[in-house]
Amino acid sequence: MRRPLRTQAPLFLALCAFTAVTLVPVVWAVLTSFKRPVDAFAVPPEFIFPPTFAFHYEVWVEKGFWRYLINSAIVSTSVVVISVSIGTMAAYGLSRLRSKTARGVLFGILSMRMFPQILLAIPFFVLAKMTGLINTYPALIFALIAINQPFTIWLMRSFFLDVPHELYEAAEIDGCSAWQVFTRVALPVVRPGVGVTALFSLLLAYNEFLLSLVLTGPDTKTLPVALAEYGAEDINYWTLSAAAAVGIMLPMVIFMMFMQRHLVRGLAFGAVKG
Amino acid sequence: MSRFTRRSLLAGAAASPLAMPFIRAANAAAPIQLISHRFPALEYIAGNIQKAIPGVEVNTQLMPFDKALELCTIAFSSKSSTPDIVYANDSTFLQFAKNGWIRPLDDLWAKYKDEFQLDDFTPTVQKERSWQGHQWGVPATANAMLFFYRKDLFDQAGKQPPATFAEYLELAKFFNTPLRAGTISCQRPVDAALNETSWYINALGDGWFDSSWHPIFNDAKGVDAIEMLYRITRYAQPGYTNAANDECMIALQQDTAAMGIQWATRALAMDDPNKSRVVDKMAWAVPPQGHVPFGGDGYCISAFSKQDPDLLFRILATATTAQKMRGAAGLMVPTRSSLLNDQELIAKYRFFPAAKAAVAVGQGYPRLPEFYAVGQFITKRISQYLTGTMQVKPALDMAAKETEDFLKGHGYYH
Amino acid sequence: MFLVPSAIVLLAVMVFPLGYAIYLSLFNYDIGAGIFRFIGLDNYATLLNEQEFWDSLWRTVVIVASAVTLEFVTGLLVAYGLYRLTFGVKALNTLMFMPSIITPVVAALFLRWIFIGRWGLLSGLLISWGIFPPDFLGDPDWARVTVILADAWQFTPFMILVLYAGLNTVDQSQIEAAQVDGAGPWMLLFRIMVPAIRPLILFVLAIRVMDAFRFFDQIYVLTAGGPGNATETVTIYTYQLAFRLLQIGKASALGVITLLITAAAIAGIIATLYRRERGAF
Repeated sequence: MRRPLRTQAPLFLALCAFTAVTLVPVVWAVLTSFKRPVDAFAVPPEFIFPPTFAFHYEVWVEKGFWRYLINSAIVSTSVVVISVSIGTMAAYGLSRLRSKTARGVLFGILSMRMFPQILLAIPFFVLAKMTGLINTYPALIFALIAINQPFTIWLMRSFFLDVPHELYEAAEIDGCSAWQVFTRVALPVVRPGVGVTALFSLLLAYNEFLLSLVLTGPDTKTLPVALAEYGAEDINYWTLSAAAAVGIMLPMVIFMMFMQRHLVRGLAFGAVKG
Repeated sequence: MSRFTRRSLLAGAAASPLAMPFIRAANAAAPIQLISHRFPALEYIAGNIQKAIPGVEVNTQLMPFDKALELCTIAFSSKSSTPDIVYANDSTFLQFAKNGWIRPLDDLWAKYKDEFQLDDFTPTVQKERSWQGHQWGVPATANAMLFFYRKDLFDQAGKQPPATFAEYLELAKFFNTPLRAGTISCQRPVDAALNETSWYINALGDGWFDSSWHPIFNDAKGVDAIEMLYRITRYAQPGYTNAANDECMIALQQDTAAMGIQWATRALAMDDPNKSRVVDKMAWAVPPQGHVPFGGDGYCISAFSKQDPDLLFRILATATTAQKMRGAAGLMVPTRSSLLNDQELIAKYRFFPAAKAAVAVGQGYPRLPEFYAVGQFITKRISQYLTGTMQVKPALDMAAKETEDFLKGHGYYH
Repeated sequence: MFLVPSAIVLLAVMVFPLGYAIYLSLFNYDIGAGIFRFIGLDNYATLLNEQEFWDSLWRTVVIVASAVTLEFVTGLLVAYGLYRLTFGVKALNTLMFMPSIITPVVAALFLRWIFIGRWGLLSGLLISWGIFPPDFLGDPDWARVTVILADAWQFTPFMILVLYAGLNTVDQSQIEAAQVDGAGPWMLLFRIMVPAIRPLILFVLAIRVMDAFRFFDQIYVLTAGGPGNATETVTIYTYQLAFRLLQIGKASALGVITLLITAAAIAGIIATLYRRERGAF
C-alpha cells in the first residue's frame, strides 16, 4: 500500500520521539551502571563522566551473577515447557466443550489470578516446607506453573476457538482418536499461538520476584532475587544495582529481539475471535 | 518428529536438574544459614562469621532490611528450622523474643564470658540486648545518630554547631539556598521517619509512651515537638518525605544540603572521593539537646534451629572479638569498649569523638516489641501532617488512637 | 482427559494455598501477638467499616482507571501509527517493547532514578535550567500521577503490541470498501477497525485491569504508599497488614475482597463489550 511521504515522515518522527522518550529510563540506568557513585547522583545530572567497568565486573565475576543466570534459565525453561504443554491441553479441552460450565470453569481459573500474590507467599512457603522442597528447583517451578496456568489457558483457548469445526469433523470421520485429533489437527493450526504464549510465559517466569524470594535458597536463587539483595544502606550498592539490573535485562532483550517476529505473527493469528 | 515428542524430550531434559538437588542435599552436611541486613559493617562481620571456625560452613544471605525481616517473619511463623542465625536490631529482636522465635543466651553467655571477653562489650550495648532479664543476642554493631554539618560553610560564616533546636532552626534557615537546602530530613515511613521523629519526641516532648504503654506523644509537648519538626523541614532538601537514609546521605555528599542528623555508620563515606563531593568538609557534633537515637544490631539464634546452639554462639563470639572487629571500626560505632577508647582509632576516624560523646547521651527505641508495627501508624499520620493533608493535633490523635487499639488487641492495658 | 494434568497442578499447587489463605481470613491470626482464634466474618466486617479500606479502594480505582485508560488510548494511537507506517516498523516495535521486558522491581528502580527529588534525572535537569519542579514522589498529588505514569510506562508496550497485531488482522476488503466510500484515517480507525477487534480489546483490557489492581512492586519501590497514604492502594494496604502489622487474618480477608471486586469488574467489562453478541465469550 503506497502512502504519501508527506504524512509518512512526520509519523515516523513522532513514533521515533515516542520510542526515545520511552527508552529514557533504560538508557539512563545503563549510563548509571558505568558511573562512580559520586557521578551517578550528581546534580546537575552528568552525561559526560569518567566511565568505570568496576561494577559490571563486580556483579558478574565477584558476586557470581552467572550462577544465578543459570538458575533463572533452568527455572524459566522448565516452567515454560511444562506450563505451556499442560495449559495447551487444558485449553483444547475447554475449547471443545462449548458449554456454560466450561465458561464458568474458565472464569474460575481466571479469578485465581485476581488474588493478591503477596498473600500467597506464606501458604506457598508452608507447603514447600512441609514437602521439604525449599531451596530446590521443583518448588519454584511448580509454583510458577500454577501461577501461569490461568493466563496460558485463556490465551490458548482463544486460539483454539478459531479452529474450524470442519477439520475436527473430518478427522473424526477418518477414525482418529481424541489424542490424534488434538496433535494432528488442532496443534498445527494454533502453532503461532503456542509461540506467543510461550514467550509471555517466559517473561513471567524470568521476572518473578516475590515467589522466588520465598521459595529459593542460596543454591537456587534466581536473578531478580539476587538483584534485590543490593540496594540499601550504602549508595555504593545503588550503582551496583544498576549494573546488575542492566545485566539481568540483557539476556531477555536479546532473546526478545529474535523472537519479536513470532510474537506479532502469533498474536495477529488469534486476534480475530479473541 | 511430532511436536509433542520434541516437547517431551525437552521436558525430560528440564526435569533432570530437578532431581539433582535431591541427590546433592543427601550427601552434604547441612551448612549453617544466616539471614542478615546489608550494609558495609554487616558485610564485614558476615565475612568474619564465614571464616570464624574452619571446617564449619556458613551460608550468609544479606539483603535490605525489610526483605530480611519479611523472610524471617515468614520462616519463623511457620517454625522453620532455617535460618539458624538471624540479624535483629534492638527493635525487631524484642518481637522475635516475645514470640518465642529466638533462644535466650544467658547460659552460653556465662559459659564463654572469659574466653571471648564478653564484658568488653559496652554496658549500653549489653543492655540493648537484654529483655525481661535475659540476654537475647550477640551484639554486632552499635550506631548513634550524629549531627553532620559542613565545617567549611560554618567557618566561613562564623557559625557554631547548634546547642538547641531553636538554634538548629535558625542555622537551617540561614544556610538555606535554592541549590543547597539548609538541612536534610529523612521522613520516609517507617524506619527512617521513626529514627528522626524519635529524636524530636524524646528531646522536646515527653517521649512516646508512659509506663503502662499508653501513647503520650499526642500531648501538648509532643505536639510542640512535631510542630518544630514541621518548621525545620521547611528548609529540608526537596523530596524529603520520600527520603530514607540513603537519599539523605546522597544529599549531603552531593552538596545539596548543609547539615542534619544521620547515622554514624555513614560518616566514613563522606570522605570517600568515589562517593562524595564534600571530602574533608564534613564535621560531626552531638545532636542538640541530646536524646540521640541510638541503636544496636546483633545476631540472634533461632529457637527452631537444628544446629548446636553452642557452635552457633562460638561462631558469633569469634566473629565479634575486638581484634576481628578492628578492621570495621570506621564503619560503625564500636561495640567493644577497648576499640571505642583506642587512641589510634580515635586519631584515624574523624567522627569518633562525636560518636563517643553521642553514645553517652543516646536513647534507644521504647522497649516495646510492637513499636515497629505501630510505627506504621505514627509515621503515616505525621507524613500526612508534613505534606499538608492533616492538621497536627488530629494527626497525632489519630496515630495515638490507632496505636492504642493495636496494643489493646495485643493484650496490653489489662 | 485433556484437563487432567493442568487440573492436578492447579489443585495441588494453587487451590490449596488459595484455600488456606481464604480459610485464614476467618481467623484473627496475629503473628505478632501469637493469636489464632476463629472469628468468622469479623475481619470482613471490620474492613468494610474502615475508612482506610474505602479510601484505599477509591485510590486504587482512580489509579487503575487512569492508568488503563492512558495505556489503552496511547496504545491504540501508537498501534495505529505503526499500522500506517511503511518502513522501520519492526525496529520500532522491538525497541518500544523493552519496558515490558524488564522485571517490575528493576523497572521501578529505573523510574525512581528519574523521578526522585533534586537529583533524579527529571528534577536535576529542570533545576539546572532554573525551573524548580514539584516533588514527584513526595507530594501527595504528584505521587499519584507518578504512580500512574509508572504503570503506563511499563505496560503500554504490551498494549501496543497486542493492538497492533489485532489491527493487522482486520479484513482488507472492509477497509478498502470504506476507503472507496471516502473514509478518512480516523473514521477508518473508529468505525471499522475498533469494532472488528473487539474481542482482542476485551482480552487486553481485562488483563490490564486485573494486573493493575494487583500492582505492587512499582508503588512499593517508588513511594511505599506514601507520602502519608497518598498512594496507598488496596495491595499496599494488604502488604502493610500482613508484613508490618502481622495481622494475617485481616490481610487474607482483604485479599478475598480484592478478588471479589476484581472479578466483578471483569464481569462488568465482559458484559458491556458483549451487550449485543452474547455468546461470543
